[in-house]
Amino acid sequence: MNNSQQTARVGLFFLLGLALIWVTFETLSGGKVFKDKGYQLVAGFESLQSLKEGDEIRMAGVKIGEVAKTRLADSGRRAEAVLRIDSNIHIKNDATATIVMSGLIGTNFISIDLGTPAAPALPPGAEIHTEPTPDLGAVMKQLGSIGKKLETALGSIGDAVNGDGKNPGLFKKIDTLVTDNSDKISTTMTNLQQVTDKLNKGEGTLGRLINDPRMHDELLASVGEIKAAATDAKSFIANAQAIIDQVKAGKGTLGALVFDEKIGNDIRTTTKNLRDISDKIARGEGTLGKLINDDSILRDAQAVMKKASSALDGLDDSGPITAVGLVAKSLF
Amino acid sequence: MKQLNDILEGIGSTLLLLARAARYVGTLPRQFGRFVEQCYVIGYTTMPIVAVLSFFIGSVLALESGYAAENLGPKQFIGLLVGLSMARELGPMMTAVLLAGRVGSAITAELASMKVYQEVDALETMNIPPARILVLPRLAAILVMMPVLGIVADLVGWFGGAIIAKYTHFISIEPEAYFATMRQFMDFGDVGNGLFKGEIFGFVVVLVCCNIGLSTRGGPREIGASVTKAVVTSLILILVLDFIVSKALMK
Repeated sequence: MNNSQQTARVGLFFLLGLALIWVTFETLSGGKVFKDKGYQLVAGFESLQSLKEGDEIRMAGVKIGEVAKTRLADSGRRAEAVLRIDSNIHIKNDATATIVMSGLIGTNFISIDLGTPAAPALPPGAEIHTEPTPDLGAVMKQLGSIGKKLETALGSIGDAVNGDGKNPGLFKKIDTLVTDNSDKISTTMTNLQQVTDKLNKGEGTLGRLINDPRMHDELLASVGEIKAAATDAKSFIANAQAIIDQVKAGKGTLGALVFDEKIGNDIRTTTKNLRDISDKIARGEGTLGKLINDDSILRDAQAVMKKASSALDGLDDSGPITAVGLVAKSLF
Repeated sequence: MKQLNDILEGIGSTLLLLARAARYVGTLPRQFGRFVEQCYVIGYTTMPIVAVLSFFIGSVLALESGYAAENLGPKQFIGLLVGLSMARELGPMMTAVLLAGRVGSAITAELASMKVYQEVDALETMNIPPARILVLPRLAAILVMMPVLGIVADLVGWFGGAIIAKYTHFISIEPEAYFATMRQFMDFGDVGNGLFKGEIFGFVVVLVCCNIGLSTRGGPREIGASVTKAVVTSLILILVLDFIVSKALMK
């Protein structure tokens, strides 16, 4: 093998190797010698769950960066992830970051939504809004407790429907009720049927009410009459109002009676005189007073009456002759 | 005590040889012919065996991980597993092991023969330092050829894994899916990491083999002993350095 052929082979081999290295490099790193440094954002979470450095950041499913660092912040009150975002990606300041679990073996990524187009972009180093993601354990726990509650609820419904040891269930109760009263129920049903039949045929008051158009007309007429009466009542009330207005104005007898002072004074004087007279009568003054208050008159009258009575008794006994005598005697 | 002394002497003479060779770097353009010849031997003629070995290493990696993943589930990550293992670890290491067996032993045998049959002494008499015309071209050649061998090993290994992943009935992963996980999770940094390690392994193997060859004393029997010693030392150094360099390259 001559020397130049050997050199050519080595040269070809070397170039081939370089080409392979270049192809690998292009395929795996996309032809970038240094990684895009991008810019950083901070995302605070209650828990980062199993997120770790180097996990992907995706916006609408497209990889736009990775988690550069995870740390505790606020003196250990919350966890923060420092996100490295490719420099050509602008994240809107109302975009939200959530931790998404992409597999059960613990591969997580941070998903950032697109935000609204009009919102301004976040500057490097800013903090992005986050939304807590319930981790699988918590969800499972909640599901478990819900299941337990559901089981209890369904159990009590089942007991109510099917009955437990002591009480018969709902269905059984209904069954008993229906069985015991089946005759009555069927009678009721028959009656109801008859009633509705009658109603349908327009028999009876209710049936006519429902089926007869005359009723409707009459009803309309009554309503018209009621309306007329209401108009009359209105005019009557208007008249009454006018009268009251007149009384108020002091016109007429009633108005004078209510509103004229002179008459009021006359009435007062009269009342006073009456009271004077009754006082005098009470004190026994005057003829009438004596008549009422002095009982000597009464006694006198009683004595006369007694004498007359005895005189009459004597008349009865002695006949007409003695009667005269007796009268005379008693008189004298 | 004598063994420790031998080890220390070996380390010392290797470093001295490196220093002496480094002194003549300027003469490399004048030795371009020798450099190309060494490239041919070290790179070109080694490539087929590197390719065959890598193909089967990639295949067996895919096969074994597929077998393990059959019950576990994440079969789609076989591509990533084969890709990362080949690029970061097995590609450079197996290439260096092959190099120690095929090239390192040849270098030691050649230099030991030259030493035993006093050709090296003759060169020194003519004021031609052996470090210049025997060691330097080989070191330069391995530095140029090792990345090429490494990338061939990586790629052939990946494709071997892909073929096995597609045609093994209990794996059955399409090459698209196989390479998709690789592209998704791997970076050229992983491949570069492996190539850098390969460069260090190859350089150390050639340097150690040259030194052991040139340190041979005695007759033909010592040539064989030197070759054995060179291969064993190279393999031990490859594995020790593999650990140290991998640890150093990790963040």
